[in-house]
Amino acid sequence: MDKMGIVFALLGAVLGALMAGVGSARGVGLAGEAAAGVVTEDPGKFGKVLVLQLLPGTQGIYGLLVAFITLSQIGILGGSAEISLAKGLLYFLACLPIAIVGYGSALGQARAAVASIGLVAKQPEQFGKAMIFPAMVETYAILALLVSILSIFGIGAINI
Amino acid sequence: MAVLPMQRMELCALKINRKKILEMLQRRGVVEVHDDPQDDDVFRKTDTASARAVLEKGITASRESLKILNRYAPEPGSPFSALEGRKATTVERYDSFAEQRDSVLQLAYRLSSLEEEIQESRTEIPKLQIQTEALEPWKDFELPLNFSGTKKAAAFIGVLPPGTQKEALEEQLNAAGADAVSVEIVSSSPEQTCVMVLCMRTAAHAAEDCLRELGYAKPAVAPPVPPAEQLKKIQGTVEALTQKAQQAQEEIIRHRDARENLKFMLDYYTMRFEKYGVISRLSQSRKTFLLTGYLPAREAGALQEELDASFPVAVKFETPGEEEDVPVLLCNNGFAEPVESVVESYSLPGKGETDPTAVMSIFYYVMFGMMLSDAAYGALLTGICGYCLYRFQNMEKKMRNTLKMFLFCGISTVFWGVMYGSYFGDVVDVVSKTFFGTHLTIPPLWFAPLNQPMRMLMFCFIIGLVHLFTGLAMKLYQLARAGQYKDILYDVIFWYALIISLIVLLLGQKTFANISGASIVLPGPVSNTASAVAVVSAVGIILTGGRESRNWFKRVLKGLYSLYNITGYLSDVLSYSRLLALGLATGVIATVINQMGSMSGGGVVGAIVFVIIFILGHTLNIGINMLGAYVHTNRLQFVEFFGKFYSGGGRKFRPFAVNTKYYKFREDHKNG
Repeated sequence: MDKMGIVFALLGAVLGALMAGVGSARGVGLAGEAAAGVVTEDPGKFGKVLVLQLLPGTQGIYGLLVAFITLSQIGILGGSAEISLAKGLLYFLACLPIAIVGYGSALGQARAAVASIGLVAKQPEQFGKAMIFPAMVETYAILALLVSILSIFGIGAINI
Repeated sequence: MAVLPMQRMELCALKINRKKILEMLQRRGVVEVHDDPQDDDVFRKTDTASARAVLEKGITASRESLKILNRYAPEPGSPFSALEGRKATTVERYDSFAEQRDSVLQLAYRLSSLEEEIQESRTEIPKLQIQTEALEPWKDFELPLNFSGTKKAAAFIGVLPPGTQKEALEEQLNAAGADAVSVEIVSSSPEQTCVMVLCMRTAAHAAEDCLRELGYAKPAVAPPVPPAEQLKKIQGTVEALTQKAQQAQEEIIRHRDARENLKFMLDYYTMRFEKYGVISRLSQSRKTFLLTGYLPAREAGALQEELDASFPVAVKFETPGEEEDVPVLLCNNGFAEPVESVVESYSLPGKGETDPTAVMSIFYYVMFGMMLSDAAYGALLTGICGYCLYRFQNMEKKMRNTLKMFLFCGISTVFWGVMYGSYFGDVVDVVSKTFFGTHLTIPPLWFAPLNQPMRMLMFCFIIGLVHLFTGLAMKLYQLARAGQYKDILYDVIFWYALIISLIVLLLGQKTFANISGASIVLPGPVSNTASAVAVVSAVGIILTGGRESRNWFKRVLKGLYSLYNITGYLSDVLSYSRLLALGLATGVIATVINQMGSMSGGGVVGAIVFVIIFILGHTLNIGINMLGAYVHTNRLQFVEFFGKFYSGGGRKFRPFAVNTKYYKFREDHKNG
């Protein structure tokens, strides 16, 4: 049973990349549909709607980031992979914020992005404001990322 | 660093000079013409809608013809052509274009009609091809397909289901009572059997019923001439159409030299269209016209001089009144000017507000740099923007400012990258270890955020506090300028006092010492003073936060609510953690890319794999992180910083000017 530590730690890392990644993929896809619709009417708006489409994509990157830091901390990328069960579970828990909030916020952000794409389609000069609405949602992904990262670094220093 | 002061201008001149004066004003581009809704017996507005409709038609024709020309004879150009800017032209050319205009317009219409011909053939040819396919099974049949028989004999020409046999069909027809029939199978394919059935007129009904039952249908197309002949005719038409389209296309391509003229015509009509828009806003009498508008005060002198020198005019400048809706034009130095567009995309300063551009620009560049945070990425950004700025001197101002903004952001990124020791992530370590077997590393000048995230987080919060306090200071400045000294105490000083004293108290707490790793022991008097200040300022806020209410009970309630804003400050400060998160994101993804690249080991193959992954991966990373840095820098300015003092709402100054696409007037050229 003591060998299970690494399993839980890896599960956490994988979940982080997985759920945030799936959320971002769905979000970018959703926004992409709306963006493509705008470009059929006016190809000149491609640059602007592309930026808006990409906004829900960052959660996937945060997931990757957490996964990578976890992988290097638990020694899967070279080094010894000896960690206790308790520590493995701690890593698992540390990855949950970005996994769950990442997924949810990517979808929420995608909906805001779709609405903003609609805004830009009608009033291209309001691009600056249109960009802010999806960015507001991202705050929560960033806060979750912060908690995940700080926890992971903190766990490394704990001795159990 | 300021909103330019505006002046109201009134200009009265003779109508015979109207064209020249307006064209001069348009070229100068410093006056925003203002709608003055005064109609009286002498001065009236002129309706120019019909003239504008004609001009609009010219604009559409030029635009369409350019599009057509670009479709068949694409303009040779580099991918950087967007940076090259408009070509310079002279007033003489503009004036002399009037003679050329009709022939160029004819050409534009000719191009449109040629394009129509091509489109027509394109839709016609597939239709004919469908006919050809339908006639193909009948090509050896010698009668026209609509042949219905002679006086005594009836003929049925058509298709039956596949697999129909001659003998079987004859028998079935005989059985149905149609005797003396002759069946000819013209062709048979897996889809259908083409037949001709001949019988006596008297038996025609019986035969037709029998055939119907068997699934008989007339041919899809039944031309009055034999199929072979029809096929030939169609073939001829298709060839003629193809040739016509070909010729039309060739003619379009022959006209490619006219492109510059068409472009000029588009600009010519655009300018005139705008001019007529202005004319409709003028108040005109029989012999004179009156123009009112706004212009930046610093332009007034030069404009008056120029007008006086050329025309008999009466010009009056006056400072606009308080209640007037004066347009806003910002003016900043070269360092701050590039971020004007950021302020503008939020909102221009409203009445009584200061231009935040200059103060914001410093924070903008610093924060962008902290988020992108890689020296090599910054150097690339700086290099590319710098090269483009140097190479394309004629660039349009808007583009130039965008590039300049990224140039400054790039420089700041280099600075932070060096501070944090990030050069393409950890590429130096990885390359030296994988390919040279040694371990080289460039140490950070300050500290690496990945190793000390808590320290970095604290630093981000400090930057955030500075940013927010600067916002409050801007509010102080604005209130001081408006002379509202009481409001300064209530809305700014109390908040400064409260937040600073709370921070001082927080520094002495044990939890803070645990988080930051640095324990600060506050001497007793300091913490006592801080507590006292906090209480006083909190009470001050409660008492004054709702001062617009006369009712004391309501006032205190509102005051309590405004004290609740302290949570707003907390969330604002926390929001700056994105500086850490995005900074880490750049570094960690770069590290992942480098690690992936080095996975196939050293040697030649390893080096090739490394280079490919390195180029692809870092390009992607720069793109994604630049987007992130841009969006979140904007957010920090718009939400956290502007939230403290700025509401905007100003109207942009839109001068009557040469808003063309391809040509501009040479700047050294004075009015003609």
